[in-house]
Amino acid sequence: MEYDTIIGLEIHVQTKTKSKMFCTCPTGYFQKEPNSHVCPVCMALPGALPVPNKRAIELCMLMGLATNCTIANEIYFDRKHYFYPDLPKGYQISQYKNPICSNGSVTLPNGFEVKIERIHQEEDVAKSTHHSSTSETDYSLIDYNKSGVPLIEIVTKPCLRTAKDAKDFATQIRQIARYLNISDADMEKGQMRCEPNISIQEKGRWEEKDGMILPLGDYKLNPKVEVKNIGSITAVEKAIEFEVARLTKDLEEGKPLIQQTRGWNANKNVTEFQRSKETADDYRYMPEPDIPVIGVSNEDIERVKSELIELPHEKITRYMNDWDISQYAAEVISASRKDASYFENLQALLSEKLEHKIAAQEAANWLMGTVFALEGDKEIDMNDLSLLIMKFKEGKITKGKAEEMLKDCISNNKDISDELDMFEKSASDNAGNIQDIVKQVLDNNPKAVADYKGGKEATMGFLVGQVMQKTKGASNPNDVKNILIELLK
Amino acid sequence: MKIDVKHTAELSRITLTPEELEKFTPQMETILESVSVLKDVNTDGVQPMKAHVKFNELREDVPQESLTQEEVLRNAKHKESGFVKVYGKVFGAIEES
Ligand SMILES: [Zn+2]
Repeated sequence: MEYDTIIGLEIHVQTKTKSKMFCTCPTGYFQKEPNSHVCPVCMALPGALPVPNKRAIELCMLMGLATNCTIANEIYFDRKHYFYPDLPKGYQISQYKNPICSNGSVTLPNGFEVKIERIHQEEDVAKSTHHSSTSETDYSLIDYNKSGVPLIEIVTKPCLRTAKDAKDFATQIRQIARYLNISDADMEKGQMRCEPNISIQEKGRWEEKDGMILPLGDYKLNPKVEVKNIGSITAVEKAIEFEVARLTKDLEEGKPLIQQTRGWNANKNVTEFQRSKETADDYRYMPEPDIPVIGVSNEDIERVKSELIELPHEKITRYMNDWDISQYAAEVISASRKDASYFENLQALLSEKLEHKIAAQEAANWLMGTVFALEGDKEIDMNDLSLLIMKFKEGKITKGKAEEMLKDCISNNKDISDELDMFEKSASDNAGNIQDIVKQVLDNNPKAVADYKGGKEATMGFLVGQVMQKTKGASNPNDVKNILIELLK
Repeated sequence: MKIDVKHTAELSRITLTPEELEKFTPQMETILESVSVLKDVNTDGVQPMKAHVKFNELREDVPQESLTQEEVLRNAKHKESGFVKVYGKVFGAIEES
């Protein structure tokens, strides 16, 4: 039997605000004293009223705008009820029927378009750790610092078909969140959480309609599995692959499938049963009466839109089309906003002297080959780097020598332009005895000389290299080449 | 009016004995009955009443001091090293967000 894999993703992202979603408590709870960022609102003391954070809603809209969503002109909040110690109110303020962002899409590097059903605003819950004890009943320790931190939930349609696409989608969402400073989206810190739901269905016996998977004829759909506790982007792919294999095996062995929630175990690389879902969730949604309807004008949306900078996939296209940068280099450089802006600024600087495509290619080569390798905590000064690149382009210094100089200057806090001056001075001092060195190299390499004279021009590179080695790089390769040509005539 | 008190109790994590179920069900049905007179009011053509606020009038993102840990834990029945302590196996059946 052949099966189709059907995957939908729910991604929660904590957005980067200074204060919480509905109160003025500070958000930065990481490694803080427990219950030190808590007020009557986030602890749900009687009479406390939620007051929505404007910036949080802007960040939700920004994520929506970056993923081609429609932004609502009226924002409604709803109460989602459930009882759990990490939720002191007994409900989470969320959005039910009217999310802030709806009907979006993201195009993956392979061209596949992922449909986004909605992005809505909600609040995070407290952190609870569970403990078993032999001397007393099981208990949990609750820290409410995280309770009320702004959280957005991105929900795709069940349109994904492969684990790789699901992983690429999560990667792209993380990249957008970081680029636009919506979130640091660190999965290990819980700032981003991915929960795939997965089912496998017999080929040709189902259809997708308005984001719903429907059976064809008398086919009975297989139940879906939701996977939680995924702590990294690679685990998204691994967990889905594991589930697809597990479901296929169970089906083929005739085992009945049940709708269930499973947890990813990153140590064992397996999913583990958590609970079955015999009944549908019953959250008793109701409109949040404590928060008025928020009117959003088109001007408000335009203002948020102005924060929308060029995104990685747009940069990749532009680098490739305008500057003939390879796809690989374009992807690597655009992966972080910092690298992309360094690259673009270096390109602009080099364009003052070089043709713009050449400037871009040099910038890319030096970034990929040298800067990424050298750069530790310290950023390489762009003016220094462009000075070096220009000397290299003028043939005054070899790439190896330039890299060596760059490394030396970074680790020993030397000034590049001083070093270059010294280098050029010693190069001109060397010029006198360079003739002798060239002659010596020719004497030592009779075969190369014969090859060159016999028409093998590539040998020239070898001879230049030999001379450069003897002068320890302290000479101009172009000059060396000219002298060689002269002497070999 | 019918109400599934058992289900409602489960959602609220309240355990009811069969006797209690028997006792509460008619009581809650009476409550629902009395409230249901609202259903008889004709609301055709009446706009829902909603309070509105403009986006620009929302709270700016400026953090302020929270309560102290001591104040936060003052009402907690059980506490341990700065945490609120909750006993019992209430976990598992209901989903975390
Ligand atoms: Zn608070």
